Amino acid sequence: MATLLGLSAALAYEAVGEIDPVGTAQAADMPKGGNLRIGMRCMEIKSPHLADFAERSNVIRQVCEYLTFTGRDNITRPYLLEKWDVSDDLKTWTLHIRKDVKWHNGRPLTADDVVWNLRRVSDPAVGSSVLGLFTGYLVEEYQTGEKDKDGKPKTSSRLWSDKAIEKVDDHTVRLNAFAPQIAVPEHLFHYPMFIIDPAENGAFGPGSNGTGPFELVEFTVGKSAKYKARKDYWGSAPYLDTFEFVDLGDNPGAQIAAIASRQVDGLSEADAVQINAMKTFPHVAVHKVDTTQTAVARMHPDQKPFNDKRVRQAMRLAVDHDKVIQTVLLGAGTSAEDHHVAPTHPEYAALPKYGKDVDKAKTLLADAGYPDGFEIDMVTRPDPIWELNTVQVLAEQFKDIGVRINIKALPSAQYWDVWTTVPFSLTAWGHRPLGIMTLSLAYRSNAAWNESGYSNPEFDKLLSQAEGILDPKQRSAVMAKIEALMQDDGPIVQPFWRVFSTVMDKKVMGFQLHPSQYIFANEYAVAAA
Amino acid sequence: MVSFLIRRLIMMLLTMLVASFVVFAVSELTPGSVARKSLGPFATQQQVDILTERLKANDPLLIRYGRWLGVLTGVLADPLQDPASGLNFTDPRGRRYFGNFGYSTLYKLPVNDVIWDRLGHTAILAGLAFALIVPLSIVVGVLSGLKEGGALDRILSVVSITFTSVPEFASGVFLVTGFVILWPVLPGTSPMDASGGWSVPSQLVLPVAVLVIYDFGYVARMIRVSMIEVMEKPYIRTAILKGLSPRQVIFGHALRNAMIAPFTVLLLQLNFLISGVVVTELVFAYPGFGRMLLEASLFGDISTVEAATLVTVAVAIVTQFLGDLGYMALNPRIRVA
Repeated sequence: MATLLGLSAALAYEAVGEIDPVGTAQAADMPKGGNLRIGMRCMEIKSPHLADFAERSNVIRQVCEYLTFTGRDNITRPYLLEKWDVSDDLKTWTLHIRKDVKWHNGRPLTADDVVWNLRRVSDPAVGSSVLGLFTGYLVEEYQTGEKDKDGKPKTSSRLWSDKAIEKVDDHTVRLNAFAPQIAVPEHLFHYPMFIIDPAENGAFGPGSNGTGPFELVEFTVGKSAKYKARKDYWGSAPYLDTFEFVDLGDNPGAQIAAIASRQVDGLSEADAVQINAMKTFPHVAVHKVDTTQTAVARMHPDQKPFNDKRVRQAMRLAVDHDKVIQTVLLGAGTSAEDHHVAPTHPEYAALPKYGKDVDKAKTLLADAGYPDGFEIDMVTRPDPIWELNTVQVLAEQFKDIGVRINIKALPSAQYWDVWTTVPFSLTAWGHRPLGIMTLSLAYRSNAAWNESGYSNPEFDKLLSQAEGILDPKQRSAVMAKIEALMQDDGPIVQPFWRVFSTVMDKKVMGFQLHPSQYIFANEYAVAAA
Repeated sequence: MVSFLIRRLIMMLLTMLVASFVVFAVSELTPGSVARKSLGPFATQQQVDILTERLKANDPLLIRYGRWLGVLTGVLADPLQDPASGLNFTDPRGRRYFGNFGYSTLYKLPVNDVIWDRLGHTAILAGLAFALIVPLSIVVGVLSGLKEGGALDRILSVVSITFTSVPEFASGVFLVTGFVILWPVLPGTSPMDASGGWSVPSQLVLPVAVLVIYDFGYVARMIRVSMIEVMEKPYIRTAILKGLSPRQVIFGHALRNAMIAPFTVLLLQLNFLISGVVVTELVFAYPGFGRMLLEASLFGDISTVEAATLVTVAVAIVTQFLGDLGYMALNPRIRVA
């Protein structure tokens, strides 16, 4: 695929026929000027490289940019890059940086800036989640030689070689990996992978330097973020003069009220219940997009009773996917198949379908030594509410096979303390354009986000094999084996893929909902009232 | 009087100390460490362990409480701001000063940068509500108390009981449906910022209305009972027999005595308005103190919760003190040595 190889931007857009991400091909009929206000939580920001929620990255995204861009269609294109080349063994990636990009302070973007950024996210002391993505081909784990208090050797991470991230010339950077990796362009669009000014050393706030279309003028946690359009943007200048995020709090009713009184022109996200309340407002347009956002009920395979794979299979057989979708998402979702690879992923392979089968599940449980089922705690978060609702509906369905669930709802902050340790819990996962990205983050042995502690050498082998195959069709042959393995042995029950939705005022033009909940304000314009 | 003031001041400090310790001890019960909360969910366990060690977060409760107290009084430097922690937490006021509430692990800002703005917003909301609740509840309470069981009393009683029994989130939704969606004359949220096209005063109408509707009926009922009691007193009968006009009886004799008991109740409403407005603030996305306190306690942001507790306790004690002074003014028989 031309796009996957980043041959050239022009070619790529011709191939997929979509407006380019950074607005170089500006539509002539878009009105200029005006202000746009979008309702979204304004959370505190430590550093762009540490952004860990779509909301945080949205605040930064208007100011700082990525090397690549993954569109609504899951296809990744060059962004701050002009193009990229990759060697046949998928180990050497050459990144060609655009020559016309300027920082707010007028300095051109150089290879040194990019190298500094890539090295910084690879530093474990920084704590960026990009490190997890780079592990396995650019970053290796090693033993520090020290021992922890239990006497186990401590491990840390580092770039596998000084040459791992290499400056070729002023506008070229080369990544030299020790293992093949096809998802490099996608990794470069991972939400904290912003290119920031080395002079600011990771700080972010009003006036921060960036290559992006807007300048952050004012930022108050819990209140708002205000932007001013930049005149000398390397792409075409934004349509809007000013742009604003407004924090409306967690109360879904307040968000509806703000839309009703036009205090905001749109929301960054609106769930199915909110959409129902707002779709009758005459000035409101509803936007929807299929995503690979999901939630998995994940079981620790090294803890009782889930240490028997028949129990894990029985849990999967207890679930009526369509019922969960109807009840929890009011139908705004598609059925998942318990292997965390979505039909919209390019390497997805269709497997024989299976549905709820109480008798088979009970037999499996009896064989595993639980003829009367068992009782277990299931940990979740009450916010966002759809996660708790999912747990409640699943708990009802697990009852059918004799599994009694005690729901333990923890506030988000406390949930993230225990998410990798409790035997049974529900975790929401964000959108990722490739199936192998989630699988390597969440199920590879010892991966940082492997919440269930799943460890299966066969799975790891197949996954590494899949990561080295460029062609999605060939990859999906390996993926079929991985998916079947997940259904047979895997640690998750996965009820659905979410349809992501939001609302915008009808006067907002150029808005397209991105499955990652990313907001690019320079694409939007407001029609005069 | 001076010794009374000093006694009061010492009591106040003691109460705040006890309250702050209780909060500190209770926070032990919520899972999760300060280090984890400072670093966020995606930090590795290794990073968390290092920071836990640096912050000495595994020390016994009393030692950590003592350390917090030391930071507050400016005896110790705030450990979270230590550059060696690698957290980049800085406070423009410095690491050591009196009144240093430490660093908020939720907002990643000095607590002093978080709470005072929020408290100011809530003070505006509470102040406006209080300014309406006082006259409204006195008028309604006195009018219905004057003729117990009369038609006016019945009507006013029904109104105040109905209003008080509607919870704030329900009246909030009713008002929004009425004045924002069906008859759009008011803004639906109150970010205290005019850039949404609605002036700040217009944003205050609905939240203040919700608070007044919820609260005035309750206070009016208190005043009503007190009024009824006073009107049955022998000196009122005497005054009437003496031939004073009803006006003179009410304003000259009844009102002042009838206000003694409700006075405390009225001042207690100030406490409620400062810390109890969470629901109203949530409904209208109001950037206030209650919402901050809720978010901070859900997150387990001990420093912010501690600071907020001290503020609310201080407000409670000060209003109680004012209550006592007012009591003395209203009832000359109560005098402090």
